Amino acid sequence: MPGKKQHSSKGIFDCPILSVKNLVGDIYLMRMSCPYIAQNAVPGQFINIKINNEFVPFLRKPFSVCRRSEKEGWIEILWKIVGKGTEIMSRYQRREVVNILGPLGRGYDIPPDLQIALLVGGGLGVAPLPFLCEEIRKLGKSVEVFLGASSESELSMVGAFRDFGSEVFLATEDGSLGKRGLVTEILLERLNQIPSLQGVYLYSCGPNPFLQAMMNLSEERGIVGEVAIETMMGCGFGICVGCPVRVRDGRVGEGLFKLTCIDGPVFNTTEILLDG
Amino acid sequence: MADLSVQIGSLKLKNPVLVASGTFGYGKESAALVNLDKLGGIVTKSVSPKPRDGNPPPRIVELPAGMLNSIGLQNVGVEAFVKEKLPFLKTVDTALIVNIAGSTSKEFLTVVHRLESEEGIDGYELNFSCPNVKEGGLEFSQDPKVTAQVTAFIRKATKRPLIVKLTPNVTRVSEIARAAADSGADAVSLINTLVGMSVDVELGRPKINTITAGYSGPAIKPIALAKVYEVAQHVTIPIIGIGGIMNTQDALEFLITGATAIEVGTANFLDPRTGERIAAELSDYCEEHNLASISELVGSLKT
Repeated sequence: MPGKKQHSSKGIFDCPILSVKNLVGDIYLMRMSCPYIAQNAVPGQFINIKINNEFVPFLRKPFSVCRRSEKEGWIEILWKIVGKGTEIMSRYQRREVVNILGPLGRGYDIPPDLQIALLVGGGLGVAPLPFLCEEIRKLGKSVEVFLGASSESELSMVGAFRDFGSEVFLATEDGSLGKRGLVTEILLERLNQIPSLQGVYLYSCGPNPFLQAMMNLSEERGIVGEVAIETMMGCGFGICVGCPVRVRDGRVGEGLFKLTCIDGPVFNTTEILLDG
Repeated sequence: MADLSVQIGSLKLKNPVLVASGTFGYGKESAALVNLDKLGGIVTKSVSPKPRDGNPPPRIVELPAGMLNSIGLQNVGVEAFVKEKLPFLKTVDTALIVNIAGSTSKEFLTVVHRLESEEGIDGYELNFSCPNVKEGGLEFSQDPKVTAQVTAFIRKATKRPLIVKLTPNVTRVSEIARAAADSGADAVSLINTLVGMSVDVELGRPKINTITAGYSGPAIKPIALAKVYEVAQHVTIPIIGIGGIMNTQDALEFLITGATAIEVGTANFLDPRTGERIAAELSDYCEEHNLASISELVGSLKT
């Protein structure tokens, strides 16, 4: 994206684990000591973690930087147990050391004319948003947060946004927490109350069908938006070329694909086409 | 200090550790993480006459101790390679080997012609063996006659060292290796990926867009070693061993089996410092085993 600033270079670090917490259901939050990434990451960027020193699981696993403290030199990542790697991670103990590569990828853009940021997370898509919320709040701008999930046991990090002084709106499909329904519905209600969409930016992260709804909404309402996408990744820094995402208006021979790991994972809503 | 240098045709490598094509981009991607000068050489991502978009996703799937990939030779094309990628690669103090892909012998020639006038290139690796493209992929290195024809055709066009990269997806890889050697190749490198497949049983669909894909990683190392062993019995030109090399132990196995040099591939996705680490540890190994030169080890297998 033109206008996006250059990010700091990446490194490989052995990071002591400071804490691992089971927040709710199968969702975990881990804090690791890593001063370089804490000081150099931008919201939306990710780290690639080596799960163990065996070959199963084989590849590193990518996680958004969820929160960080520049001063105390730590970063946090959020995950849900979905496979072998995340299951092993859920058994990590304080003081164990994990090998991480980062910061990686292109993060969210926070333009100077931003007045109100609407942060929208679907399920575990909440992961990069606390960090983004904090950075925008530091600039003295307003942030409203919309989180949705199938049920209460899939909703996490709600308190983090309130700590940064942001209002949080919740929706669950089963009505166990917040409003019964989809997060896009509570977002629409709020959008209809905002008199002018000048200076309003829409930031989202979550599964593809949800992101597609957000991309449609951006286009229909004329709101500038960015989405952080999740795809299978091999290396996380552009050498395996295994994480293509379709470019909108891409022409054969001129680049049909961008790479999620180095061109994203954050893309402008007008930039890409999502699969499935 | 033991002498780690090895000879590939007229090319002297400072050590036998290269990074494999398609697993290290064009070098710059890893420059912040790796001291590239410590590598014996960099083999670039395949370069084709025109830019290639590559295959639609999904392109990769993770497996125990390995992975499948079907990238489809996505690359910037030779013109952009020369203008955008080569200037950085020239600044690195290591051998630069450009991997070339094409669908016909003329396409290989087009790329070689364009690169011949550029300085700083130390050799070519001909990718006759990509399993993931419809044309010009596997069939080049599955037929000894075609391998011989294309090798001889390119041989006439360059004096630079020529390496032919071989597929393991044949009955007798040594026949293909011999065809390349007899047609002027300075070395053969093997193995490229094995054709493999994985199925999502919930969706009842292959996990990779092109159905079959290339299998790589530590799981394939025993197969790669056996292929290197077979080829070592049949050709006298240097062999560059590739396949699942994750650490120094693995690299040593290939050298002892008969490889003059090795390429680190998929391991770079986990840690691009792997090659640098192996080069340092090979030096330690030579010291510990009183070897004056790493070449004493090559083909020293006791059988």
